[in-house]
Amino acid sequence: MPWKNQGGGPWGSGPKGPWGSGPQSVGPRPPDLEDLLRRGQDKIQQILPGGHFSGMGIALILIGALAIWGLSGFFRVQSEELGVVLRFGKHVRTVQPGLNYHLPYPIETVLLPKALRVSTISIGMTLIDDPARRGRTMRDVPEESLMLTGDENIVDVDFTVLWRIKPDGVGNYLFNIQNPEGTVKAVAESAMREVIGRSEIQPILTGARTLTESNVQELMQKTLDYYGSGVQITQVQMQKVDPPAQVIDAFRDVQAAQADAQRAQNEAQTYANRVVPEARGRASQILQVAEGYKEQAVAEAKGQSARFEKVYDEYRKAPDVTRQRIYLETMERILGAAEKLVYDGGSSGGQSIVPYLPLNELTPRRPPQSTAGQPQQGGNR
Amino acid sequence: MRSPVAGVASLLLLFIVLILGYSSVFTVAQTEQVLLVRLGEPIRVVTEPGLNFKAPFIDTVISIDKRILDLENPSQEVIAADSRRLVVDAFARYKIKNALRFYQSIGSIQAANIQLTTLLNASLRRVLGEATLTQIVRDDRDALMVKIREQLDKEADGYGIQVVDVRIRRADLPEANSQAVYQRMQTERQRQAAEFRAQGNQKGQETRAKADREATVIVADANSTAEQVRGAGDAERNRLFADAYGKDPDFFAFYRSMTAYENSLKSNDTRFLLRPDSDFFRFFGSSSGKFGGAAAAPKQ
Repeated sequence: MPWKNQGGGPWGSGPKGPWGSGPQSVGPRPPDLEDLLRRGQDKIQQILPGGHFSGMGIALILIGALAIWGLSGFFRVQSEELGVVLRFGKHVRTVQPGLNYHLPYPIETVLLPKALRVSTISIGMTLIDDPARRGRTMRDVPEESLMLTGDENIVDVDFTVLWRIKPDGVGNYLFNIQNPEGTVKAVAESAMREVIGRSEIQPILTGARTLTESNVQELMQKTLDYYGSGVQITQVQMQKVDPPAQVIDAFRDVQAAQADAQRAQNEAQTYANRVVPEARGRASQILQVAEGYKEQAVAEAKGQSARFEKVYDEYRKAPDVTRQRIYLETMERILGAAEKLVYDGGSSGGQSIVPYLPLNELTPRRPPQSTAGQPQQGGNR
Repeated sequence: MRSPVAGVASLLLLFIVLILGYSSVFTVAQTEQVLLVRLGEPIRVVTEPGLNFKAPFIDTVISIDKRILDLENPSQEVIAADSRRLVVDAFARYKIKNALRFYQSIGSIQAANIQLTTLLNASLRRVLGEATLTQIVRDDRDALMVKIREQLDKEADGYGIQVVDVRIRRADLPEANSQAVYQRMQTERQRQAAEFRAQGNQKGQETRAKADREATVIVADANSTAEQVRGAGDAERNRLFADAYGKDPDFFAFYRSMTAYENSLKSNDTRFLLRPDSDFFRFFGSSSGKFGGAAAAPKQ
């Protein structure tokens, strides 16, 4: 039949173009069908212009309707979907993305869940549309995020659960459980609180993040498998793990205190690193000075001894003369520079004039520039 | 022509057959089980999905959900065995395992939810009331949940319901108690912070004191060594002088005195009041040098 070949055209060769680009359309396309139907009717009218062969016409119409009915079983599964084919309500097979066929309604129907897509559930915060920023912002949900720890502290935990339908679990996902998304969320909350409730606050806040995540994931998976939900938890991510807002300052202060303690120690170490080498330097200086003194003393002693020995060698050759000479030369040098007052005070006593000596005039004959401190210094030398 | 009558009759027959056929089949969806009732009397339950047959007109089909159903329980305050209060928010998952009993005893899922909520709350209070807060939160949460599930399951059995799971979602302190916990957390952290700071200061002071001590010791050691070195120097000096001057003590006394006079009296501000009869002026009065041995009296 010619119309059948033509009718097969759009299905056989046409679909790849429009269906590949159509992102949202699912299953059989009513517009296409109507179009097809209309074209089929046109053909029939062309073949049966006068309505002479009415018996054959009815048969043709019936066959045409049957064919259209049969063709309505074609459907397309998008790349993130799986096709679940039900025969009279019973799940008979699951088909992969692409063009597929099921027996036409009402024998078989198809469900197209987005089974390959990874879904996200956020707990402790909600994503809300923010028209001002043309994006989505987080809003905290404290009644979801505040949890009691094993040592009766409270932590603020926001986390995200990534989950998908198990490759072989799409039937379970669709048919075993009334509210899969709600169940995943409820189980996630319960599991997180159970895990948090078992541990203490400090490890939760610091090191045990990964451990907590994997424990929650494990517990969730176990529970969901027990329900036969067909859900696979791919990841549990802890977004925010903080002390509650009321006490976060105190927690930060503990960190600040640790830093302060470290700083105090560092400062002390700096001081030590400065003081000890300085002391070493001073010690070395003291030793050097002492060595210097020693060498100076020895050198001076050597020099003076040598000088004395030289003089003594000469002296031994002519003791009296040398002695006199040395005496006179010394006196000459001493008296040559000094002021002298020679007074012949008689042969023995000499006390006759001493009482009249104007000592006050004699004594202050110091250099006029000398100040109060200098005479003392001079006296000590 | 008998054809019109025959036509109408055959059409009517076809119509009746269609109606009969339609009313004697039914489908069971994958998510359902079906209770078949004949004139009010339940005959059988069909759990297998697919196409099924029944007696037309007299059999009624009642579909009942076969899936695991939600039961969300609003949060409520529970008093634990150690008379501490907790806000507990639990949920249950259940399914209808006996469609006939379910249909007869309770009828609809809404009614079942109401009934189960009452039972769950009672069970929750009963079980959690026997446990301490620590057991609920930390130690025995799992066992307690199992216990609640078992109790609830036993009670719900009469309704043809199987309780799959009961889980405590939240078990938190009431707001007033939370404030107390916050205060305790805060004071605990303050204590920790003070401790850290004090420890830091203590270690710092230890380090400083150690450094000071070390520095003092280093300098003292150096002084000690220095004195020894000076002493050695002095000793060497004494030895050298003794060696040299020991050769003639008398000349040494004279020579050294001369050096000392010169060094101490040489400056310009020294004035001498001299008597002419001193040894220096021996020849001042006579060329024979008659005076001798008198001292010059230096005055400064």
